[in-house]
Amino acid sequence: MYAYVVRRTGFLVVTLFFVTVIAFVVTNILPGNVALLILGPNASPASMHALQTQLGLNRPLPVQYLDWVDHLLHGDMGTSLRFDEPVATLIAQKLPRSLLLAVSATLVAVCLSVPLGIYSAVKQNQAPDVAASLFAFVGISVPIFLWGLLGILVFSVWLGWLPTGGYVPPSKDPVGTLTHLVLPAGAMGFALTAYIMRMTRSSMLEVLGTEYVKLARAKGMPRRVVVLRHALRNAIIPVVTVIAFQFSYAFGGVVVLESVFHWPGIGQLTLIAVQSRDIPLIQGCIIVVALIYMLSNLAADLLYAYFDPRIRYGGAA
Amino acid sequence: MATAAETVGRYLPLTARRERFSRFADQFRANTKAKIGFAIVLALVVVAVLAPVIAPYSISKTDISHRTEAPSVQHLFGTDSLGRDVFSRVVMGSRISLYVGFGAISGALLVGTVIGLLAGYLGGMTDELLMRLMDAAMAFPPVLLALTLMVVLGPELNNVVLALAFVYTPYIARVARSAALAERNESYVEAAVARGESNRRIVLAEVLPNCAAPLLVQGSLNVSFAILSEASLSFLGLGAQPPTPSWGLMINTGAGFMETAPWMIIFPGLAIGLTVIGFNMLGDGLRDVLDPKVDTVEA
Amino acid sequence: MSVEPTPGPADVAGAADGDAPLLEVRDLRTEFTTRAGRVVAANDVSFSLERGETMGLVGESGAGKSVTARSILQLIDRPGEITGGEVRFKGADLLACSEAEMGAIRGREIALVPQDPMASLNPVLSVGDQIAETIARHQDVGAAEARERAIEAMVDVGIPDAAERVDDYPHEFSGGMRQRVLLAIGLSCQPDLVIADEPTTALDVTTQAKILDLLGELQAEKGMAVLLITHNLGVVAQTCDHVGVMYAGNLVETASLEDLFANPQHPYTRGLIDSIPDVDTTYDALPAMAGSMPDLTDLPAGCNFAPRCPHATEACQAGGDPPLEPVDGSTARVACHHAADLDLSEPTVAGPGAVGRRAVDRSGDPLFDVRDLRKHFPAGDGLLGSLEVDFDGGRPRVSRRSVKAVDGVSFDVYPGETVGLVGESGCGKSTIARAALRLIEPTSGEIYVEGRPLHELGATEVRSLRREMQLVFQDPGSSLNPRKTVGAIVGRAMELHGIATGAAKRRRVRELLQRVGLPGDAADRYPHEFSGGQQQRVAIAHALAVDPKLVVCDEPVSALDVSVQAQILNLLHDIQAERDIAFLFISHNIGVVRHVCDRVAVMYLGEIVEFGSVEQVFSPPFHPYTESLLSTVPHADPGRETDRMLLEGSVPSPVNPPSGCAFQTRCPKKLGGVCEREAPALEARGTGDGHRLACHLDLEAMSDRDAFI
Repeated sequence: MYAYVVRRTGFLVVTLFFVTVIAFVVTNILPGNVALLILGPNASPASMHALQTQLGLNRPLPVQYLDWVDHLLHGDMGTSLRFDEPVATLIAQKLPRSLLLAVSATLVAVCLSVPLGIYSAVKQNQAPDVAASLFAFVGISVPIFLWGLLGILVFSVWLGWLPTGGYVPPSKDPVGTLTHLVLPAGAMGFALTAYIMRMTRSSMLEVLGTEYVKLARAKGMPRRVVVLRHALRNAIIPVVTVIAFQFSYAFGGVVVLESVFHWPGIGQLTLIAVQSRDIPLIQGCIIVVALIYMLSNLAADLLYAYFDPRIRYGGAA
Repeated sequence: MATAAETVGRYLPLTARRERFSRFADQFRANTKAKIGFAIVLALVVVAVLAPVIAPYSISKTDISHRTEAPSVQHLFGTDSLGRDVFSRVVMGSRISLYVGFGAISGALLVGTVIGLLAGYLGGMTDELLMRLMDAAMAFPPVLLALTLMVVLGPELNNVVLALAFVYTPYIARVARSAALAERNESYVEAAVARGESNRRIVLAEVLPNCAAPLLVQGSLNVSFAILSEASLSFLGLGAQPPTPSWGLMINTGAGFMETAPWMIIFPGLAIGLTVIGFNMLGDGLRDVLDPKVDTVEA
Repeated sequence: MSVEPTPGPADVAGAADGDAPLLEVRDLRTEFTTRAGRVVAANDVSFSLERGETMGLVGESGAGKSVTARSILQLIDRPGEITGGEVRFKGADLLACSEAEMGAIRGREIALVPQDPMASLNPVLSVGDQIAETIARHQDVGAAEARERAIEAMVDVGIPDAAERVDDYPHEFSGGMRQRVLLAIGLSCQPDLVIADEPTTALDVTTQAKILDLLGELQAEKGMAVLLITHNLGVVAQTCDHVGVMYAGNLVETASLEDLFANPQHPYTRGLIDSIPDVDTTYDALPAMAGSMPDLTDLPAGCNFAPRCPHATEACQAGGDPPLEPVDGSTARVACHHAADLDLSEPTVAGPGAVGRRAVDRSGDPLFDVRDLRKHFPAGDGLLGSLEVDFDGGRPRVSRRSVKAVDGVSFDVYPGETVGLVGESGCGKSTIARAALRLIEPTSGEIYVEGRPLHELGATEVRSLRREMQLVFQDPGSSLNPRKTVGAIVGRAMELHGIATGAAKRRRVRELLQRVGLPGDAADRYPHEFSGGQQQRVAIAHALAVDPKLVVCDEPVSALDVSVQAQILNLLHDIQAERDIAFLFISHNIGVVRHVCDRVAVMYLGEIVEFGSVEQVFSPPFHPYTESLLSTVPHADPGRETDRMLLEGSVPSPVNPPSGCAFQTRCPKKLGGVCEREAPALEARGTGDGHRLACHLDLEAMSDRDAFI
């Protein structure tokens, strides 16, 4: 187990390295842009050149990269061109709100999809299975922002139960936080449900067909025990990885959803950064999001090891 | 009822290849999901091809006097805030979605298959390096990565195709790699080595054909993701630019008029949903038919 | 320990019926709905079993034995269903019981012991949990008491250190131990009937012997009846009281053990007994039955066996399946129209045209010469997995663990001869085959093919040399590319080495396919359209397509049914005589090796422990491991008792092989310190030249048993 953890963390570091490379390359293809952005299109070539030298943009790319990574390791993600504040500070402010949204959405998704998945597997190909599959299918086929908009239309505009958007910090009004959270978390959760449900279902089906489940039945164990104790404990293992993946996928959805609900999180921040071509802020945002993805994958791997004694204890084959 | 095999056999000498294809056709027809999915996709392609003929109105000519009118006989889906016929715009929008979907995924298939096959078949250091790189690219949520690329490339429909091809390449590479790995362990690959085949020949003749199935499935599923991503990008204003009738862009404009003219978002939304359902069903159905145990990546 | 089970329906009725059989199956019929239609997997099967008796149910795969067994326990699910018959257990009809009632009977009165222990044990629950839950379910005890009883059950089945290991997980046990756990689960509630479904198929010969002994002891102790399902007649001969033979869903013969082997009534039974190459009989060709068991979706109109039966007449081809009827003067019942007229008590002799053993010319240089071949794999996965860090007096030392799959192996093969590599699973025989052909890169060693140093050649030269050495794999299904036609597969090899193209190639392919016994139009069909035996014929044709001088056969018949094995072995034999090809024949089946090979090498843990001609290896002096292997093989002859030499423990891990001689941890004739310190070299010893042994014992100590020949 110890070796497993070390190995997984090792991979994380290597991947993180590649992440920084990608982030750097993707945002630095046209180095001239930055100077152009700051000074505007009417700037003279001389002043652009001067600014570039000042910002170190004339140095060879690998050197710029190393310099940038060096700053990163010290926690310095540069200064936002648009807000003129340290990127790290901006992100630190906004990130928790997105985390709140993503975590709530994932919770909603898990509570819906795991029981549905189990039920579908047990009632394979019968009416409940087909209905649940259909439900999940529709969930992933419509873009998240549309669910958001429809949610607002129905629950805010027509029924008036929930607010149309915005965010209320828990410190000010916890109940308000919740009411503002319901629609966005619900919309996102609904979109995440499908994959988790399908994975649960197929994992359960596979496990229900194994020899050891058949033996459990042959021993005379009642059906409920077979499903819950024997089957589920095995089936849940791959589902955990999908849940982790969906959690990080939620961060892709936040970009769009935060814009629909005016939720001031990292998604909205990234959008503003992109619209203003604020390179340092963009870099900071995407690296943080990628890091969250990798950490949640690592968590999934660790949970996997915890649940599966073959990994936990290694040992004779 | 005669099977496809028998039907074909009546008209053409039944070679092994034709028999295999007609068996596939039989199974395909038996699978409801695949049939419906295929029907939807086919309908979509037909609509896209015949769009200029089907659409009764121009998509860009504005007519302020008739703006935000509810659906009626003259305007099946109503009009938008600039008086344009929503139905015509939705129909023309199908071209955009298909262009992005097929274009992006064709690119991803091309590059991704090569990377994945190399990694899976050669193994070792090549595999480790390539896969860490792919993992890193997948660490960024697709929309986020596409957004960032749009900044660099500039917001334009063609750039959307390019950006999405880049974004979805790793997912295809993963599938190609796991298929190649599974193939590499098969005895008939070993038999080919024992026969004296060169590596190149083995990959092309023994490994690749058996990887086609999962790649096809993953490809068709990814088309729907690409279409959703384009919609999101356009919704955020970073994809197609006005007056292009991208469905996502239409929802963007329509969002502001949601309360008074919900048809501006409902119909483009339905169009997106139907298209995506079609490709998803086709992909799922193909997976069932070709090989239920095919290994795909959900993204 | 007192056991008070809650009374079930079968109990109440059974208490009164002292004389009736424990289990009486009458006209059991189980059907499956498949895409090709309705298939009858068990067709009106009837037999009975008394208390304390052991009955063997024999047949090849697909015959219906497992289906019958599971039908008894009502464990048949969609798309199958039990459509007729009765199963009377202690008087009550099990098929009429509800699921709830069956739940009380399963595990408590009738227990199932399945095969394949890795798949049959839940990997996330400890073995103790899995045993204890059965106990807790059927006996009214609390968790702590159930755990105590689980430990006792583990002790009963001979699991060492049961109290410490009760919380261990299945993957932490070896295969033999896991099978014992399955036995413990089955016996934990003292059932009256144990259904053992191929309980030893996945195990090696020594472990198989121990498990069967254990089953016998426990049965004698507790008075259980056992229904033993197997395809191995040797196992049946050593353990059963009476036997039932199944073929294509029908029970075609039942008889007491002695009667079945001495005077079989059904031609299929005779054919089965004949097909097994016994360790101490010489055959020229094996008497083999033609064809193979029909697919259940496509059964013949009359008797199912008629198409293959040498005694079939017109009457047999029509009119449905013959009924199972008693035979005068015997305990047997048989389903054959001609049973009364046939006398099948003598083994069939192979027909005319069988080629005898050729002499091998060893005067020249060997065709294939392997010297000190080694292949080590890194243990653990990935770059970082195989590293091991030791703290040696405070300072960390990094070393790489490796699996020493092949550790210094030398042998040679002369033109036209067959050399066998025999050993149990994990001894490295398959790895040798691949390393010697350079399909995987050897870690070190020399390989000479016709004098040329294969280990030094470049990639292109190796590829062209491949023409001389071909490989036939164990699993015919996966060695043929499913997307290519048979003709394309066989023809490709010809194209590649420039032997023939175009029309000439197609002609040669046709001829070759016919030579291996396939129909002329086979070239246009796909592999999955053929049966396992036929697929293996295609694989052989593929190997022969380039006219090689050496063919390496890696367990070529292990995945095939017994009656088909004989056909394939005969085919290989004929082809060798025709074309003077040398074979390197790898197998774990000693009887087959005895029949097929000229010289044989016995392997243990990556090394050769004995090498010589078949006569030399099967006669004294023996290496202790060879002696143990030969003595533990179960013979298909009920009268025979061999003085078996059983080994303790199990095969050590190749990551940490024992010091000195690899066999010293289990050797019953171990001398002492010298065996632990010094690894014996493979040297010429004993009678006859060319007989090599790797052992410290002197010749006398190795010769205290008679020959097996």
